[in-house]
Amino acid sequence: MSQPPNSYEEAVERLEQIIDRLDSGQAGLRETLDLCREGRDLVTYCSGELDAVGEGLKELRLDELAERLAASGAEG
Amino acid sequence: MGEALEPHRLDTEATVAAGPDLPGPFAVGRYARKLQEEMRRRARVLLVGEVTGVGRSKVQAYFELRDGEGAVPCAIWLDDLEKAGLPEGALRDGAEIVIAGGPDYYPGGGHASPGFSFRATHVRLAGEGDLLARLETLRKQLRAEGVFELQKKLVRPLLPKTIGVVTAESGAARRDLLAGLERRGWGGTVVWAFAPVQDRHAAPAITAAIQGLAAQPQVEAIVVTRGGGSLADLWAFCDETLCRTVAMLRVPVISAVGHERDSTLIDDVAAVACSTPTHAAEAAVPLDCGAARVDLRRGLAALRRAAEGSVRARTPHLIALARGPARALRRERLALNQKTREIRAASERGLIQRLGFQQRVAGVVLERAARRAAGAEMERRRTALHRAEVALRAHEPEHTLARGYALVEDEDGEPLGDRAAAAAAERVRLRFADGSVGARIEDTD
Repeated sequence: MSQPPNSYEEAVERLEQIIDRLDSGQAGLRETLDLCREGRDLVTYCSGELDAVGEGLKELRLDELAERLAASGAEG
Repeated sequence: MGEALEPHRLDTEATVAAGPDLPGPFAVGRYARKLQEEMRRRARVLLVGEVTGVGRSKVQAYFELRDGEGAVPCAIWLDDLEKAGLPEGALRDGAEIVIAGGPDYYPGGGHASPGFSFRATHVRLAGEGDLLARLETLRKQLRAEGVFELQKKLVRPLLPKTIGVVTAESGAARRDLLAGLERRGWGGTVVWAFAPVQDRHAAPAITAAIQGLAAQPQVEAIVVTRGGGSLADLWAFCDETLCRTVAMLRVPVISAVGHERDSTLIDDVAAVACSTPTHAAEAAVPLDCGAARVDLRRGLAALRRAAEGSVRARTPHLIALARGPARALRRERLALNQKTREIRAASERGLIQRLGFQQRVAGVVLERAARRAAGAEMERRRTALHRAEVALRAHEPEHTLARGYALVEDEDGEPLGDRAAAAAAERVRLRFADGSVGARIEDTD
């Protein structure tokens, strides 16, 4: 992967391009292996994003969030 | 009204100083009472608007009735208010009401301030029809200003990690939204900003809650939701200030207010309008996380297949390539043997020709050698000749004369080689290198 994706949607879009290219059978061996490596990196990134929202829903009140931010700002 | 009033008597100079040629001046108290009469004579009408600034005295309630374009100060006698039979506390800030009455003017008194007000004699809460008419006017205005387009241009994240929600703390909408998010397989963070969601009175609180959420950088989308109700119940979500605030936010707002048939202004202005909190959950998290995990696993498997398949498809070729060196060696060896045979055959075929050729070559070589030998002999001879020439020249009498010797010759030029020949000659010539001189032999003893 030349650059890490900026968002989940960007990663998924690139992943689809990669799989389309691989499915076309037109990629040479070197390109195929490079695309597979890039694809695996993208899958890892997407999995990470999904894991970030996969540990159970957390609830917070706006005032709690604001206080937390203020506290972290004061520490910083 | 001027006709009924008699001007005060003033001197001419004062009249001129007061202004141009107008009727009067009139006594102000009388003018005020006439104004009151004029006002009260005007047609009685129904007005609809939002109540603000409610206050009460011992005898009347007063408030302002306003909408987006203007306002009128109103007053109603407490007796009339009681007769209206409104629910307890219905006449309060934010309530949408319809009043019947007409303009009035209180001329004031010695110590009381004068003032204009719309004297209401009847009051009722605004009905659906009244509200719809107002809603349409406002909707038309906001649409014309392009307010509805702003949120639609925002990019909604496919997988937000944090979403903000504005709703009532106790309500079915909250529960439904959470259920919708969990069904999505989404386990991010929900930031709640609870606010009253009933009536126009709630609008400032909802606006503040939305702004508070939008100010948090990690909040990627905001859901505004409440359950169904009458248009009057949902009226807070038609508030102009609220709608304009939402339009200006950089965070996408998803509205799910009321049921499908209800159409509030926030639905028009939001990035997405949903009919239920469950749909709002889907709009806030467009990615079905459960399905996405399955897709990812499939994608990964497809990648593995592609990588392995790609190698497998090339394996025979790779094996062939791997066997290449041995095969190439064998091929080379065969080629080499063939060449050797060809060369041998060619050698045999060309032997005779080559002998003839070699003989011709040898002839030429010998000839060249002979020539070379002849040349050497000539040179040797030339050298010997030269040497002889040098030796010969060394023996010439001129060379001896050149060194200072003299040759004795007789008068005929014959050399006289000994004493006796010279004594016999009497007259001789002495020959030097540079010439001869005559001489006479005198002493012969």
